[in-house]
Amino acid sequence: MVTILVVVAILVCALWIMANKLGLAPGYDFGAGAYYYADIPGYEEIFRDDVYKTNVPYWVHVVLFLCWGWLMYRLWIWIDKRK
Amino acid sequence: MEKGKSVPAFWSKEDWQAIWIGFIIILLACIAVLTKAFDLSAVKFSTWAVGEAAATKAVPLAEQLGSWVFWRKLIVTVLVLGTLFTIGVKLQGESVKKYIPAFLGLFVIALIVRFVSAEFTLNRYLEWAFWALLIGLLISNTVGVPDWLKPAIKTEFYIKTGLVIMGFSVLFSNIAKFGLYGLGIAWIVTPIVILFMWWLGTKVFKMDNKPLVITLASATSVCGTSAAIATGAASGAKKNDLSIAISISIIFTILMMVFEPMIIKAAGMNQLMGGALIGGTVDSTGAVVLAGNALGPEAEQAAVLVKSIQNILIGFIAFFVAIFFATRVDRNSEKKVGAGEIWTRFPKFILGFFAASLIASFIIQPLCGSSAVKEINGVLDQYKNWAFVLAFTSIGLDTNFKEIVKQMQGGKVLWLYIIGQTFNIALTLFAVWFLLSGVVFDVPVLDLYK
Repeated sequence: MVTILVVVAILVCALWIMANKLGLAPGYDFGAGAYYYADIPGYEEIFRDDVYKTNVPYWVHVVLFLCWGWLMYRLWIWIDKRK
Repeated sequence: MEKGKSVPAFWSKEDWQAIWIGFIIILLACIAVLTKAFDLSAVKFSTWAVGEAAATKAVPLAEQLGSWVFWRKLIVTVLVLGTLFTIGVKLQGESVKKYIPAFLGLFVIALIVRFVSAEFTLNRYLEWAFWALLIGLLISNTVGVPDWLKPAIKTEFYIKTGLVIMGFSVLFSNIAKFGLYGLGIAWIVTPIVILFMWWLGTKVFKMDNKPLVITLASATSVCGTSAAIATGAASGAKKNDLSIAISISIIFTILMMVFEPMIIKAAGMNQLMGGALIGGTVDSTGAVVLAGNALGPEAEQAAVLVKSIQNILIGFIAFFVAIFFATRVDRNSEKKVGAGEIWTRFPKFILGFFAASLIASFIIQPLCGSSAVKEINGVLDQYKNWAFVLAFTSIGLDTNFKEIVKQMQGGKVLWLYIIGQTFNIALTLFAVWFLLSGVVFDVPVLDLYK
């Protein structure tokens, strides 16, 4: 019963948002549904290489990325083995 | 195929076919954009509106359909996809005579899907995947699917091909765009949320359908539809699993896009932290941009940067999900699975996804520049969308409502999403506070573009 009420509330809320066109931005020709990353006005500027300056080399990011991924994979196996 | 002649797996198996079909399209798009020798653009409906043309961006339908360019692009799209998929089907040993009319029929339905999902209000809130499922379901549960159309219902084939094409848009070079701050928010939190939802779904809720659990977990923690498609394919999720995960993610994205910035504003959080929180938690990238924009320019930029790092994760997560399912879920005994067996079970199209991503990130972008990659991806994005629309329409055509209701498992799936998303928001909020509040580390400075 609670689940059904939650589902109905969520659907009504979503329809209300759509009917009132909430959350959209003037000048942006996309929404949650229609989107392509290069559609963002000023896209080139957002993804410019120097948008954030850091002294940490690129390879450090890659190593940390891979290490954390490997660690999480081991943790996943450990969780899965537990009854 | 002639009897007695066997086609090597590289040409006849769906996974490998997805790779070479994807790469042919990528290659054609690169040649078309870099040489300007021809236009490969696929057809796409511009936004249209009913009534007062709510939108200044809306293009009247008569204008769209009256343009020769629209019809030329339509012919190019049918020829490119139709030819490549038909060759694939032929090499799989199936009847081309049956496939061609079926493909054309499916394409017409997919065209209707794209037409509907280009309407101003509909396309701003619900992705084409939703409309493809709905229209497919309406057909299959009312008039039924005619036999002649069935040979074209090849969901996995279209999904895998679309994923290989999508790989080209996943730029690994974005990983360091927001330094260790971005990596910390996007990459530390994401796998923890996936593992939490795995534990909750399989150990607490005792859900037997593990592909559904991992598909929903990835949609929640990474980036909605795209992540669900990738992990769904990697884990061998059934068509209903994918439908449910994507529908839940799409509906909740509408709510989060509107309410999350409101709550952040009410809480008095600064733009940098608010944007990073949005980037780390709202599922769909388009919704992330809009929710960030609602807070301000700095929030929008932070949100997009964090989300762009999360988007890189799709391929890696799909890769590890494929390995995990090959070694732990799909095995028949407790015996350790050997490398050969892992290779046999491993969904090969993921290698195509990775290769496309690496080629775009480390060959095409450095050699030709970001604007060329953007232009190539502009072409590829539409082919990817067409492949996915064909796939989701196929899912809808192949599903009945009763199966979907049964798959909801008495609401467990919904509660898994709600609890998982709440955990995602709480953990991301902690990471954002820890990294960006200035209490522990210096507050980073973004060079704002606005």
